[in-house]
Amino acid sequence: MGDQGTSGPGTPHHLVDHLFRNRAGQMVAWLARVFGPAHLDLAEEVVQDALVKALQRWPYSGIPDNPSGWLLTVARNGALDVLRRNASFAGRAHEIARELERATKGSDEDSTVEDDELRMIFMCCHPSLTPDARIALSLKTVGGFGVAEIASAFLTTDAAIAQRLVRAKRALRDNKVGLELPAGQELAERLDSVLAVIYLLFNEGYSAHAGEQAVRQDLCGEAMRLGQIVTRSAHLARTRAPVAHALNALMSFQAARLPARVDENGELVLLEDQDRARWDHGLVARGFAHLERSAEGDEMSTYHVQASIAAVHAGAATPDETRWPAILALYDDLVALNPSPVVRLNRVVALSKVEGPAPALAALADIEREPALAHYSLLPAVKARLLAEVGDLQGAAGAYRRALAEPCTEPERRFLLRRLAACEE
Amino acid sequence: MPKYILLLHDNVSAFANVSPEQMQKVIEKYVRWGNKLREMGVVKGGEKLSDEPGKVMRAGDGQVRVTDGPYSETKEVLGGYYLIEAPTYAAAVEYASDCPQLEYGGTIEVRQIDSM
Repeated sequence: MGDQGTSGPGTPHHLVDHLFRNRAGQMVAWLARVFGPAHLDLAEEVVQDALVKALQRWPYSGIPDNPSGWLLTVARNGALDVLRRNASFAGRAHEIARELERATKGSDEDSTVEDDELRMIFMCCHPSLTPDARIALSLKTVGGFGVAEIASAFLTTDAAIAQRLVRAKRALRDNKVGLELPAGQELAERLDSVLAVIYLLFNEGYSAHAGEQAVRQDLCGEAMRLGQIVTRSAHLARTRAPVAHALNALMSFQAARLPARVDENGELVLLEDQDRARWDHGLVARGFAHLERSAEGDEMSTYHVQASIAAVHAGAATPDETRWPAILALYDDLVALNPSPVVRLNRVVALSKVEGPAPALAALADIEREPALAHYSLLPAVKARLLAEVGDLQGAAGAYRRALAEPCTEPERRFLLRRLAACEE
Repeated sequence: MPKYILLLHDNVSAFANVSPEQMQKVIEKYVRWGNKLREMGVVKGGEKLSDEPGKVMRAGDGQVRVTDGPYSETKEVLGGYYLIEAPTYAAAVEYASDCPQLEYGGTIEVRQIDSM
């Protein structure tokens, strides 16, 4: 570019992954607090303008040494402009200006930034919002995702997401929802809601396969980032941090397996067939650390049990070393907490590993007719597997065909076809 | 070797709805493009023009009138320029062809510097 001094060798040529997205989320959370949550649209505009300015300037000037600081300064200046031009802030202008300056002095660092993010996600999970709205608003604001990205992550249209956001913001304004954290029982309930949103995001990302847009896989990373913000918050330390740690443990163990979940041909690999050397062992270690913290309270949530199951798998160096009786006992605990048909189906798989396929088929008969599983391809797939194990290949083939008749992803479909072919040989 | 000026016209509304992640990718593309040209040794200059409209000077009624502007009637605004060296127009166009300017509704005007 024109000025060799800022663009020569040694100066930044790339940005940290997701820097813009993360900083956008942080700055929206900050400005929503400083201007007031009723001015969320304004906060988003100011942040977007700052990013556009970077986009217009950095191609000529090069990437600055401190890109985050640059963005923050420009956002602050944009916010000050808004303050000057906008009469509705007149009464609070001095106070707001002071708050804007304070953040850019760099004295408060990470704890204030994360505090803003925590408040924002708690606000986004307010009970007056529908679950869909909570997810969309969380991703748009503190997540820093764009409307089109959220739409493709949730396999819907831009217009549908845009509408969800408009309604969500209106609900917040109508209910005068602020960024103050609730207390006591309300805090506990809101935390449940926040954790549910985080886990939903994680599952959307986890179920995304290689053929889909990268943004879906990004959701796992974003969910884990939000989970870390929750557990690091001082506001929750004395109350229900252990359950948040349980969720973080579960997400860490599952995410650890992502590199091994798909083979070089893009084909799905079952847990028992995965190359465990490809598991992210840093994430496994993080999972165990969170699991330990999760045991500090009295509470035993479904996240605790699911994380414990994932931990048993993570602790087995090879599939043969898997302690299935421990897993079966944990599934018994999970069913007691949440007797949903899906959970009971997962328990059947564990049962088959401990007692063999025949008792598992008997247990399966109990849940086969559950309406919730009517179009769940995993049910006939499990049955097919068990029938093949007892030697009924014809029955297995029939069950695989039933599984293929239900909705499933492309990699899942190819997997089932291979299993069907194996039965028919 | 002839010189060419690349006039980069921005589509002002292009980025209103682009996500932060996308914007980061575009910036990284710009940096890679610029680095590529610099490594080839063809960049002789380049500046970004300031955002505010400048001044327009016109003679009329026997005097020079100066107004703020220009205010574009189209969606495009001249955002900046690069000065590059290239053997031919075709080569100059080729160098500019992977500039991200072109991906978001912007245009690039390529003009050869006249050599007498």
